Amino acid sequence: MGTGFFTDTTVCIGCKACEVACKEWNQLPDDGMSFTAMSYDNTGDLSASTWRHVAFIERPVALSEQQTGLGNFSWLLMSDVCKHCKSAGCLENCPTGAIVRTEFDSVYVQPDICNGCGYCVVGCPFGVIDRREDDGRAWKCTLCYDRQKDGMEPACAKACPTDSIQFGDLDELRDKARRRVEQLHAGGVEEAYLYGVDEADQPGTDGLNAFFLLVDKPEVYNLPPEPVAPRKYAAPAWASVAAAGVAMALAAVAAVAGSGRQ
Amino acid sequence: MTEVSSGTGDGRWIDPSMGMLIGEAADQKVPEGRTERGHSEGAAPLPTWDREPEARRSDDITYYDLPVLKEPVWMWVVPAYFYVGGLAGAAAVLGAVAQGSSSSRRLVNRCRWTATGAIVAGTGLLIYDLGRKERFLNMLRVFRRTSPMSVGSWVLAASGGANSSAAVLAGTDGLLRSLGDLSGAGAGLLGMPLAGYTAVLLSNSAVPAWKEARKTLPFLFVSSAINAAASLLDLMELDDDEARVVKRFGTAGRAAELLSGVMVEREIAGIERTARAYKEGVAGSLWRGGESLAVTSLILGVLPGHSRLKRFATGVTGSAAAAAAKFAVFHAGKASARDPKATFESQRSRAAH
Repeated sequence: MGTGFFTDTTVCIGCKACEVACKEWNQLPDDGMSFTAMSYDNTGDLSASTWRHVAFIERPVALSEQQTGLGNFSWLLMSDVCKHCKSAGCLENCPTGAIVRTEFDSVYVQPDICNGCGYCVVGCPFGVIDRREDDGRAWKCTLCYDRQKDGMEPACAKACPTDSIQFGDLDELRDKARRRVEQLHAGGVEEAYLYGVDEADQPGTDGLNAFFLLVDKPEVYNLPPEPVAPRKYAAPAWASVAAAGVAMALAAVAAVAGSGRQ
Repeated sequence: MTEVSSGTGDGRWIDPSMGMLIGEAADQKVPEGRTERGHSEGAAPLPTWDREPEARRSDDITYYDLPVLKEPVWMWVVPAYFYVGGLAGAAAVLGAVAQGSSSSRRLVNRCRWTATGAIVAGTGLLIYDLGRKERFLNMLRVFRRTSPMSVGSWVLAASGGANSSAAVLAGTDGLLRSLGDLSGAGAGLLGMPLAGYTAVLLSNSAVPAWKEARKTLPFLFVSSAINAAASLLDLMELDDDEARVVKRFGTAGRAAELLSGVMVEREIAGIERTARAYKEGVAGSLWRGGESLAVTSLILGVLPGHSRLKRFATGVTGSAAAAAAKFAVFHAGKASARDPKATFESQRSRAAH
């Protein structure tokens, strides 16, 4: 059920066609043209007006079976995007009902409802969704809701020249991704693994509808190692509120006791 | 690039004679004249490097030290709301309890009006923080039990109704007075979640400094709320009997605030970078300052006598302590969200348990 992305980072060449296609299709404004001076990544992160972001990681580590002329060195490239989590922190935190789950199982922010409370921003364990200050509302990847309605694949997947970004039915994508991991393992790239492929792999989010094939720790890609949808740890906090509330009432009873008698 | 910016001029490069602005984000607003102000070129949206930092150790991985999380977008009005909202909850609880005893009706009325005023002010603060203020009523569009902000919006709205009707009916007799007391009792019941839900609102997030303190933060918030309400009442004119009630309530709140502060520190003690967020910077100063003020207020409060000056000093230091606690927690959260290592560490340490 549902559609999503499988992003195979081993074939990403860092061309940023996904970033451009996303901006063009969704008619997103620019973020200011600037150089970070850190790497070829001059985008930096996902934001309200950037819904695909290509990370450029220069590591002093060689991939297994890799021969380089530079000593130990390898590039890791990853096109990051909203994960459209099965348990989505942003959606579960949204007090207005602006954030909904669509018929494609994606997480969508309705711009005509959002009142810009900013609670989704703190609820996302991936730091994806953001409120645009001059616009006042929260924005993020829609998994090209409009294109999917017309039976088209999202703009980023369409534009990806190496099929690093694959779009499709989630069950098929998972099978495809697992076969790809086996293929890489057989070829000697034993560090390849899937990030957030299903509930068993990432219980905190119940699995991601946009999952990744990675070859190093999640931290290397600026991904959280153990993301959890916040509501999953809310129960003890509510229990503490109940206990503290009762204690407050008792304090009030004790304070009032014996007054008004003189 | 050719001059097609006759269109939007905000990076969308849509020539209105060639294409239409109908994309999903086409109505995302960008300030006019941004290009002229030079925002479009050269203004870095991110912290950038002048030179490459010293090589990072392999167990010290980050992505160019960029944050994983988005920093909370809330401004100072949100912790200010935590203060007045808590104050309203605690005042409503004290009012409800006092109306059931033989104590002065004046204190009951004071509590009701205090809670009502605080709720009105708090609602205003919350609306002020919204990105789209005119849509504030959307807060009551749905009820979402997974969202503490949704739960809190309904509690705040109901508390507003209960407290204001109790306050309006405060001076009446007979049936109306009974109705007022019923409202007051309802306001008291709602006051308990109103004083504490904001702690869950914070901890129900991905922010390390908030989520890692989720079990103890409600105790800090509720005790700070008691302190806030009692300290404000201390600034008002009270007779000896009322002053005694307020003194007991406030002393309990101040002692509990100091104790729960220690509890919060203990809950996060094992997670170094999260704990650091409470110790350094703005949050650290507010945290320590709040503690000193709470101690001062506690001592002043328990000194014998009900002189106006003594109560005034107690109330001022107590109010400052209550507010400082909430601003400290707020700023600790912001600092920890900016620190990618705090995010990684808190998740890895939980996985190890």
